Amino acid sequence: MRRKVIFVLCSLCAVLGFFTILSVNKVLNSEWELPSAVSSDQERQRIVLITQELDTPFWKLVGEGAANQAQKEDIGFEIWGSYGKNQEDFLKQVEIALHSKVDGVIVQGNDTDEFQQLARIKAASYGIPIITVANDVPVEKSLRKTYVGSDHYAAGKLLMGQLLEDMGESGEIVLLGDGNLEYSEQLRLNGMEDQLEQYPGIQSIYIESGSSDETAADAAQNALNQHPNVDAFILLDIRQARVVMQEISSRTELDPFYLYSFDDGSDASALLTEGKLDAIIEQSPEEMGEKSVEMMMKWLRNEVVPLDSKGYVTDIRIVEGKDELP
Amino acid sequence: MNTIQKKIWMLAGIVIVMMFAIWLALTFYNQKMQDQYNDILQRYLQMNEVTTSSQQTVTNLNDHLSNPTARSATTLASSQQSLQDAQSSLLELRNAENEFSLTNYSNMIESFTETVERSVAFSEQGENDTAASEFTEANRMSVYISEMTLSIFNSELRTYERFYRDIIRQSQELNTMGILLLSLTSVLLLLFTYLFSLSITKPVHQLTKAANELAKGRFDQPIRVNSNDEISFLAKTFDHMRVNINKLILEIQQKAQVESELQESQLLLQQSQMRHLQSQINPHFLFNTLNTLSKKAYLDGAEDTSDLLVSVAGLLRYNLKRLDHTVTLEEEAHVLTQYMDIQKARFSDRLTFHIDLDPSTLVYQMPSLTLQPLIENAVIHGIEPKEDEGEIWFRIKDEGHYIRIEIEDNGQGMDGDKIEQLLKGGITPQEGQATGIGFANVAKRLQLFYGRDNVVEIESLPHVGTKIILKLPKVMEVESYV
Repeated sequence: MRRKVIFVLCSLCAVLGFFTILSVNKVLNSEWELPSAVSSDQERQRIVLITQELDTPFWKLVGEGAANQAQKEDIGFEIWGSYGKNQEDFLKQVEIALHSKVDGVIVQGNDTDEFQQLARIKAASYGIPIITVANDVPVEKSLRKTYVGSDHYAAGKLLMGQLLEDMGESGEIVLLGDGNLEYSEQLRLNGMEDQLEQYPGIQSIYIESGSSDETAADAAQNALNQHPNVDAFILLDIRQARVVMQEISSRTELDPFYLYSFDDGSDASALLTEGKLDAIIEQSPEEMGEKSVEMMMKWLRNEVVPLDSKGYVTDIRIVEGKDELP
Repeated sequence: MNTIQKKIWMLAGIVIVMMFAIWLALTFYNQKMQDQYNDILQRYLQMNEVTTSSQQTVTNLNDHLSNPTARSATTLASSQQSLQDAQSSLLELRNAENEFSLTNYSNMIESFTETVERSVAFSEQGENDTAASEFTEANRMSVYISEMTLSIFNSELRTYERFYRDIIRQSQELNTMGILLLSLTSVLLLLFTYLFSLSITKPVHQLTKAANELAKGRFDQPIRVNSNDEISFLAKTFDHMRVNINKLILEIQQKAQVESELQESQLLLQQSQMRHLQSQINPHFLFNTLNTLSKKAYLDGAEDTSDLLVSVAGLLRYNLKRLDHTVTLEEEAHVLTQYMDIQKARFSDRLTFHIDLDPSTLVYQMPSLTLQPLIENAVIHGIEPKEDEGEIWFRIKDEGHYIRIEIEDNGQGMDGDKIEQLLKGGITPQEGQATGIGFANVAKRLQLFYGRDNVVEIESLPHVGTKIILKLPKVMEVESYV
């Protein structure tokens, strides 16, 4: 009897002890993971990349490149911006960045008065350097430190060269573009027009496509109506490519037309692989991101003073349809 | 020694320590959790403080611009001060995940403050338009600050959600642990209490059993109690008492035995004295007559007869006087030789007596009239019934620490039963013996004299002979032994 009682109690003790130890272990080992603290005296430099087109793959790549470079430089880095070219939101972000006294702003250039106002006056008053990336705003308007991105004038020339090669030296070209052209689009247009000057056999027509899908569709209709002999379309804004092509294919075959555009939108690679676009100018978004952060840091560390205000050109190349984008 | 009191104290101590430890641990963890909750809540409150005071500053600035008085200036300054306080406390809230946005936030507040100050400065210089535009700017920034507060709230919530879950999980685990600990403690307590009660009741039980044994009169079983407290002390005392009682009983028994032995020997003495008296019918007359007869025989030329008579007289005298005295072995041997002279005269050639004495032993003392009855027995039982020659050997040897006396005959011998009977005194001496002292009497006297039992041995085989062996300790001088 006595042994039985002791045995039962002891085994109970052992079982409970085992579970208690397990539980105690669990309690002791489950440390709460708080975010690690930062020493207040060591402030990292902060750089913000602001764009209007957070949603496009192009800008995602720019962001990735910049983030990688920022990590290498061990600085604080964030990507801000608006979706779908929301001008108001974009400007607000820039203003917030300036008020927040970040160490540097890398921004998608925006050729508007408000932007120039911000860049010229506010940024200067806070002493914050601005670098435009991908889309430039002329230095005399924005007082930007430098520009990192493609040479759009050269891109326009390159694309036109490709068109001439494909189409020959005579034909009718429709250029579709926003009435309110970005500085970069203007440069592309200039590049193309300069290239065309030597070829009197080619007639180019510029049609304003507006900024929305509907207006782009209307513009495409107009182009087909007014210029039935058109041979090629060049879309300054690739985001309108899908709508325009839908319009065209709703009326006639798409194949006979030469379609060209510049890659800074979402559809480029899909349309290329589908073979609907004949060629696009491909830019190097990641390189832009990396380079912009690098240049900003060089400026902040006084390594390169002053920065080349003409800008630092990144690689462009022409990619023909059915070629895979890398 | 562990006392029972100590055991009880220990048990209580263990319980208290266990409870205290559990309480301490739970309180500690609770406190830790509460602190964490507090910290987190504090963060939100601090950020909220920024929004509130920035809005307050805007309102005050507006009041001040529209109606600049000393009072409005003070209010504005105080709201700005509270904003700055809130801002400086923000730096403590920074961590790896919100460093960027918090720095922005802090700088934004700084910019806001600067703008407010500019606005006031312009207003003081009378440039009201500029002041108004700065005010608009400040107002916009205040909105930005509110928005930023919200977005930081959001990210904080994201950051701390995981943490909250951890805390909740932890508190659940703590609950489980509490229940487990409680049950473990209870079971442990049960075990301890059981063992403790056993350690008290078991020895008591053993003690009770031992007491029962004693009550039944069994004093020879030692009392054993497996314990080391007061009860063991009690048991030891009890055992000591048992041993003492046992000793007393043994002593009483021994005393009784000694008394009975004494009575027996007194009885023997009286008996022999009776015989002594009976045979005392004018022994001096008999003794003198024998001497006269001896002289007469000598004068008549019968020298043998004369010698014989001297021997008889000596024997008679020895018999009369020496029963209650010790004598030397030499005297005893001398009487023996006289007795054998008489017997030789009686049996002439049929009896051959061999004697072999170690002279060094003759000085030792022994009770008188011990050897003569034995040799008489040898003659009566060894020689008399035999028709042919009988032989008797008498030897005294020194065996170191004792003296060995052998009396051997080659008579008819005895079987085992008879030896036993003889030793117990079952055979009474026959009539017509010289002293009338039986074998048992001799044996008894020797035992009493030397105070030991194994003095007399008998070796005998029927039709071969009997050998009586006495092993006597060496005793030099004893005055009297009765």
